[in-house]
Amino acid sequence: MRCVDAIDSPLVAPVILAEKLSKTFRVKVREPGLAGAVSALVRPRYRDVHAVRDVSFAIAPGEIVAFLGPNGAGKTTTLKMLTGLLYPSGGRVEVTGFTPWTGGSPFKRRIALVLGNRQQLAWDLPAEETFQLNRAIYDIPDAAYRERLAELVALLGLAEVLDKPVRQLSLGERMKCELAAALLHRPAILFLDEPTLGLDVTAQDAIRRFLAEYRDRHGATILLTSHYMQDVTALALRVLIINRGRLLYDGLLGALVARIARVKRIELVLGVGVTAEALGRFGTVRSFRSPNAVLEVPREEAAATSARVLAALPVADLSIQDPPIEEVIRQAFAEGSEAET
Amino acid sequence: MTRARGWVGTYAALIRNAWLVDLQYRAAIGLWLLWGITEPAIALGIWWAIASGGPVGGYARADFARYFFALMLVNQLTIAWDSWYLDRWIREGDLNFRLARPLNPIHESIADNIAYKARSGGVILVLWLLVALVWPAVRLSFDPARWALTALAVLLAGAMRFFISFTTGLLAFWTTRASAVMELHAGLALFLAGRVAPLSLLPPALASVAGVLWFRGMISFPVELLTGAVHGASQIQRGFAEQMVWLGLWFAAYRLAWSRGVRQYGAVGG
Amino acid sequence: MTEVRLPTFRVQRSAFRILAALWRLNFAEELQYRANFVASLVGTAFWIATALLTLALFFRHTTLLGGWSYWEVVVLLGVFNALTGVIEAVLRPGIGQLASEVRSGRLDLVLSRPVDAQAFVSFRKLDVWRLTDVALGLGLAGYALARLGQMPSALQLAAFVVALASAAVVVYAIWVALMSLAFWFVAVENLSVLFDAVYEGARYPVSAYPGALRFLFVYLLPIAWTTTIPASALTGRLRPEIGLVAVAVAVVAFALARVLWSQALKRYTGVSG
Repeated sequence: MRCVDAIDSPLVAPVILAEKLSKTFRVKVREPGLAGAVSALVRPRYRDVHAVRDVSFAIAPGEIVAFLGPNGAGKTTTLKMLTGLLYPSGGRVEVTGFTPWTGGSPFKRRIALVLGNRQQLAWDLPAEETFQLNRAIYDIPDAAYRERLAELVALLGLAEVLDKPVRQLSLGERMKCELAAALLHRPAILFLDEPTLGLDVTAQDAIRRFLAEYRDRHGATILLTSHYMQDVTALALRVLIINRGRLLYDGLLGALVARIARVKRIELVLGVGVTAEALGRFGTVRSFRSPNAVLEVPREEAAATSARVLAALPVADLSIQDPPIEEVIRQAFAEGSEAET
Repeated sequence: MTRARGWVGTYAALIRNAWLVDLQYRAAIGLWLLWGITEPAIALGIWWAIASGGPVGGYARADFARYFFALMLVNQLTIAWDSWYLDRWIREGDLNFRLARPLNPIHESIADNIAYKARSGGVILVLWLLVALVWPAVRLSFDPARWALTALAVLLAGAMRFFISFTTGLLAFWTTRASAVMELHAGLALFLAGRVAPLSLLPPALASVAGVLWFRGMISFPVELLTGAVHGASQIQRGFAEQMVWLGLWFAAYRLAWSRGVRQYGAVGG
Repeated sequence: MTEVRLPTFRVQRSAFRILAALWRLNFAEELQYRANFVASLVGTAFWIATALLTLALFFRHTTLLGGWSYWEVVVLLGVFNALTGVIEAVLRPGIGQLASEVRSGRLDLVLSRPVDAQAFVSFRKLDVWRLTDVALGLGLAGYALARLGQMPSALQLAAFVVALASAAVVVYAIWVALMSLAFWFVAVENLSVLFDAVYEGARYPVSAYPGALRFLFVYLLPIAWTTTIPASALTGRLRPEIGLVAVAVAVVAFALARVLWSQALKRYTGVSG
């Protein structure tokens, strides 16, 4: 199942363009056991791992887009191809008019890459030192540097932590400093790989709000990979779902929910004397913990079924909800895999 | 014009960062400095005993003392550790963000070396001066011309050892045993670069191998320049010529390893 | 479901299968480690060859080193390698991480265990393959003895074993003393570098050094007792009674180190409250 809900106007040239992007790794095959170990040494055999298969998408300037998918789906590989760390096995990719792999310094000045699990800040020095280093590396003029630093410090709340060695900072503070360091040169595109990984809820929230604010102010295009749903719901209107190297869905999150979620959930607060069996006549009982219950019904019948329930049973409260996003995504993966086999 | 100023600014920032980090690790660096002192000191102790009955291969006790102190200084000013952390960068993914920056990672390493060597070289120099106050044997004659030539030879030697170390580290693009290669090289350099004994004391076969390969230019030639063991215009010129040739070759090796390595990295990732 | 099988028969069959699977897994692992084993063996052989060449270089210009002939010094080199094998296999893995544990506070976890902290930290990890260095070292010493044309008497051999064991204890005591430093100078990251730098002096007979160094290596940093003494016992350079002195030195060294460790530990736990 592969669908695109196009939202970008054809009049705006995309800042990121991927056409049938593919990446295949040759991996040594090692049979288990003693004989296998020997033969792997003597006569190595290889097998192809298709990390990314025929992925195509276009991203307009100023969009915030999330790559969603389970571990090993190909998100990070795609990201590396967009930033020039890997070169594609097939297809083509263009980012701000450059081919990332051959873009060189001019390309690298237009982008920023923040990896969630590896940091670029000098560990034993205050973050400010790394900022100064980046100023020199990216040739940022003094006045511009001071102005941008002030803005980033204000937006991220970094005033207290700038002069403490990075190793003394909390994970959340470190990530904020990483972001500041990455944005000093005002990149056109910010690539983030699992930016909220391992952070506590407050820090995650702060970072998401910052990214939205930054985009609103400066029109930067932000591309992030994640397996946290909240990253998506809070930030990105547009998701690209990748699983097993294939792009399963590309479009608005809301549209995805509408397309895939074939059911709706009716959340009820019931009156006395209602049994699960009684409720079960109207649909699938998802959970029943008196007085709360959740009933699942096909989307089209949600309204009608609600009316019938209200008429037949004592109900104190009722509301109709979409199923949780995680389930929607899981269903998208499952359907995508089914489509393959 | 602005490009040059850009490079100066970049290097200033890189060196400053490296200097500050070294400051944080001064205890650990101090220990490595200790190693840099004890190894020549023990060798000196042995040769001192051997030369108790008179000069050995043209080296009297005082000559040995001067040689090994000069060795301490030259070694600290030329030693390169880069293969060790390069190996780690490549294997642990620390190369990624560096490749995404508009700065070739080698500049960070060069700046690191400059900061480290300025500091530890300074320490050795001070140490030497202090020892020279109480031990006449290690004193050198004041000859600005010789010192200037030595400085140049040290610069060339340091650059070459850097590229050897960096290139060896780049082998990590292809193998997990890059550090083993560096260890092998260090073992060979013990003899062939003159760390265990002045090259003239080696069996002639080994000494000529050292002269034919890059080892003499690594440490021995600058040391001999400083102690005055090498003199005469032709000898000095030949020494410099050898250094420059090998520096050129190792630089070429680095360029090859880097371009191939990055392509390999782009194929299989890190 | 209608078949009737003797249960014992079935158990035997599966037991064989399990055993076979375990063995296969074991061998596959073995092969993987064997590559590392070969690598470390080659590495050690290389460094021994380097050391022998260095010796040959010295002896190119002299017949005696501190009164020792070439092959006598090779015996000492063998002892040196045997001891470094013990250090690499037993001491370095466990003690090497102590400094970082002190800094990160993970040491508290170690100290909370109901075992003697010193013993635990020292012996917690074993790098088994490095024990081959011990074999190589002793083999080298044996070969050198053969080249000397000397066969040690039973008494000399006994003295050697005692002296070697004492040497191991002295080395251990030095490491414990260094470990204790980790508590005072928490920034000392590379304790093992400190040891390696100084221990290089144990490669050569202590008599080869000038007076001041000799004093240092016998009385202050007693590394002379670790290689010179056992080698002397083996080659008959010193009377077998030296073994008893070696034991005394080992006891004193261990006691001093233990005191140092206890003081350091007391101070550490006091500070961290």
